[in-house]
Amino acid sequence: MTADLSQARAVTMRGTVLTALALAGVVTVMVLALRFTPVEANQGLAQKIFYVHAPSAWAALLGVALTGFASILYLWLHDPRLDRFAAASAEVASVFCFVVLTTGPIWGKPIWGTWWTWDGRLTLTLFLFFLLLGYHTLRAALRDPLERGRFSAVLGIMGLVLIPFIHLSVYLWRGLHPQPVLMKPSSPSMPPEMLRTLLTSFAVFTVLYVGFVTLRYGIQLARDLREAADAG
Amino acid sequence: MPDNGQYLTAAYIVAGLIYVVYTVSLLVRAARARE
Repeated sequence: MTADLSQARAVTMRGTVLTALALAGVVTVMVLALRFTPVEANQGLAQKIFYVHAPSAWAALLGVALTGFASILYLWLHDPRLDRFAAASAEVASVFCFVVLTTGPIWGKPIWGTWWTWDGRLTLTLFLFFLLLGYHTLRAALRDPLERGRFSAVLGIMGLVLIPFIHLSVYLWRGLHPQPVLMKPSSPSMPPEMLRTLLTSFAVFTVLYVGFVTLRYGIQLARDLREAADAG
Repeated sequence: MPDNGQYLTAAYIVAGLIYVVYTVSLLVRAARARE
């Protein structure tokens, strides 16, 4: 038992260190974007919101995708570690999704002239956020761990199903949202200085996702061990 | 070139705040789980 709790502490510590490094990386990305990346001629400074918005969207979709895959495996293997990971990843994905849904409109106002439009990409991202809120509400409402794991896994898989539609929405429904500049079959459509900042940002936000999930997983592991000890 | 730097500032502050607040919430929960 003591060894297990020390394992939970070690996971939490690893997550804390990774998160601290990644947050320093986020500051570096912002400085890189502000000081060492050219200003886009048509959009002006507001274009630089992209260096936080797009990598946050990547991290959100990565989180939802991994929640979905972990949920599929949980329904098959019934391993509590998979359920714990899915829950941690879904919570972190919600935070990234919230950043996407706040920075997007702040970019949209000066560029589109409106905070919000019911464009396919925006609407589906909002639906994904609501789905994640539903996931957390469901988990909070169910006491039995097996029932909680099984029911929430179904919602986790629903999130995974939504991802291709979100990615392809700019092609399926030609709305206002720009088409991908990086995640597309052809080569990236931006100058090398901008691409360097964007790729750095994608790497940093991936580490931030891993840091957050590791930290969240460690917290849940400690709680589960304590509950098991109290029950035993 | 359009003058819209205030939107960039707002977006970076909002995103930064969300990430910092979430980090603090995780650290508080980690400390409680350790007790």
